[in-house]
Amino acid sequence: MKLSELRQSTASEILDLFGADESKISLAEELVKKGLPSKKSEEYRYADIESALSLELEFLKQSMDDIEPCDKLIITDGVVTHAPESVSVRYTSAIDRDMKHFDPLYYLGHIASEFVLALEPRGDESLKIVHRLTKIKTLIAYRVALFIAPNTQVNIYESFDDCSADGSLVLCGYDAFVDRDATLKLIKNQTLDSQNYRMIASHRFKIEKSATIDLATFDFGSASSLQTMKVELGERAHLEASHLLYASGSAKRGTVSKILHIGEHSTSNQQAKSILADKARGIFDALIKVEHSAKYTKAHQGSKAILLEMGPYMASKPQLEIYIDELEASHGSTTGQLDSKQLFYLRSRGISEVEAKKMLIQAFANELIDKVAGRSIQEQLHISFDKAFYGEARMECIDTCDGCEDALVGDTEEINRLFGFSQ
Amino acid sequence: MSEKRNISRMMDIRELKVKIGDKTILKGLTLELEKGKVHAIMGPNGSGKSTLSKAIVGHYDTEVLDGEIIYRGENIVDKEPEERALDGIFLSFQHPVEVAGVNNAYFLRSAVNAKRRHEGKDELNAAVFLREMKKYVEELGMQPDMISRSLNEGFSGGEKKRNEILQMQMLSPDMIILDEIDSGLDIDALRAVSEGINSMKNGDRSFLVITHYSRILDYIKPDYIHVLKDGKIVHTGGPELVAQLEEEGYESLGEA
Ligand SMILES: Nc1ncnc2c1ncn2[C@@H]1O[C@H](COP(=O)(O)OP(=O)(O)OP(=O)(O)O)[C@@H](O)[C@H]1O
Ligand SMILES: [Mg+2]
Repeated sequence: MKLSELRQSTASEILDLFGADESKISLAEELVKKGLPSKKSEEYRYADIESALSLELEFLKQSMDDIEPCDKLIITDGVVTHAPESVSVRYTSAIDRDMKHFDPLYYLGHIASEFVLALEPRGDESLKIVHRLTKIKTLIAYRVALFIAPNTQVNIYESFDDCSADGSLVLCGYDAFVDRDATLKLIKNQTLDSQNYRMIASHRFKIEKSATIDLATFDFGSASSLQTMKVELGERAHLEASHLLYASGSAKRGTVSKILHIGEHSTSNQQAKSILADKARGIFDALIKVEHSAKYTKAHQGSKAILLEMGPYMASKPQLEIYIDELEASHGSTTGQLDSKQLFYLRSRGISEVEAKKMLIQAFANELIDKVAGRSIQEQLHISFDKAFYGEARMECIDTCDGCEDALVGDTEEINRLFGFSQ
Repeated sequence: MSEKRNISRMMDIRELKVKIGDKTILKGLTLELEKGKVHAIMGPNGSGKSTLSKAIVGHYDTEVLDGEIIYRGENIVDKEPEERALDGIFLSFQHPVEVAGVNNAYFLRSAVNAKRRHEGKDELNAAVFLREMKKYVEELGMQPDMISRSLNEGFSGGEKKRNEILQMQMLSPDMIILDEIDSGLDIDALRAVSEGINSMKNGDRSFLVITHYSRILDYIKPDYIHVLKDGKIVHTGGPELVAQLEEEGYESLGEA
């Protein structure tokens, strides 16, 4: 069926359709109240949501398989199939869902998911999550809850297998609860091309007192997809968010976020960089709201976009909504072409215009890639970006170089460092 | 007869008219640059010296209204900047641009290998390239971290100029234009840069040195001095002209 057909349905009809039990009735009511998104919805005004909701989709009956031990946590079509032994994986239907989320597809995702996959790292942990999506023309809905215990630090690097879920719609996302003094570092690396699936990832992040979320998202490719996120910051809580987007073709892709400063001395810094080619549309529709209770907030937000031709368009809407005086806030947004002086300088040294442009774009992207911690993850991100952008990985030329042995600088590590591949 | 003349000629600039914006800066400039020789250009601020150098490398600010730039027998005014560079023309900029996020070594290796490909040579692998780059960096008295820093980003004025010379040495061009390479250099830097330039002399390469000062000319010994005033070369002489200019200024040299 098409999800757009739900527009006429009542809350209980929606539950019936997905075989969901009565406990989800308030979610369904909220969905009905907000209505399925359309291009008239505030949050989806720039996204290509109507074509996603009119995809002809099969519904997926998820079944829990045995979990095989693996160094990564692999979620296949919404079900954990592999996991490290150190991570506790639990399926539950009872989590504290956000009944005030702005995104109607947050509710739909919860209704359509049979269960919530709850991850509770026992202590400090670094975890790789691989999303594997294999079913074609299917609604694949799953929700992951992350419980980060007080005083712990959890690092998550999530990536998406070269998937073959063509024509599918994926509704997913995190409900993350970061407890006092804890830190969650979350890096997402996703390349999605137009013939692949569509994804709407609806997140909800709750950051308790003196806790931190450090979020870095890397979205590349020609497919339309969207991440929405609501963030609640408690007292002295901190959010660091960066979003790198490279969109090509006729993709409409990006981030819709609402960051709510609730506690005193809470801080947030959100930076988006977008590189747009062809007829792509980049989306950065981001509100920061500082409540009465959030005195001494610091909130900074910025968006920079580079349009590679005349065709693409950047919908950049940073907004600040402030109810107090005692705060420090800034936001800014720029959209433009590559710097012509820099471009000329490179060309005057014999570098072709095409290559020079690529170097400048790479430089623009590197700023966010090189900010994430961990060299091997940076390398992964460089490779993903290069593949999406150049069609191949740039770093390979160094890995395969010959004659290193007799050179003064012999080892690949040193060479990579000098060429700036690893800082 | 003209063919024969061309053999000793690296570049022939004929009646060049160039405008920037809607202002004509070069007003019919003629200049012949010989192979293996060092030509110096001196002239008042705003007379068009940098405009000439930009026109030669095809900078987008400049629009050639009339005239020719013949480089090794071929008019290059319609060529792309990168084609001119690959064919061996190099300009050390008066104000080198900072390019944040582009690693200096990666940039220079790309340029060197573009040129090698153009010449039908094998590309330099990373290690061999770095060995060479390190050697020049040392000779020029540059900090070793400049190899891996972003191109010119945060470099001091003098460091940028040394980085231009480094690029010149590694690209080994045939026609070298230096636009105020000496301005802002301390005494040691001036010596290092001059030695870098002198090391490039091979009897074949030509140099066009734009400067306001005689000091660098003491090091690199020009064969000819040209005076550029109000968009034209108004006077050409030997090295002895430098002393005269220092004493009398440009006022005394009127129309050509
Ligand atoms: N981008 C530009 N836009 C407008 N005018 C320009 C531009 N670049 C140069 N000019 C003008 O062209 C004239 C010649 O400038 P040019 O830089 O060639 O002088 P110069 O001889 O190199 O001077 P200096 O000795 O100060 O370096 C000046 O009047 C300058 O103001
Ligand atoms: Mg000048």
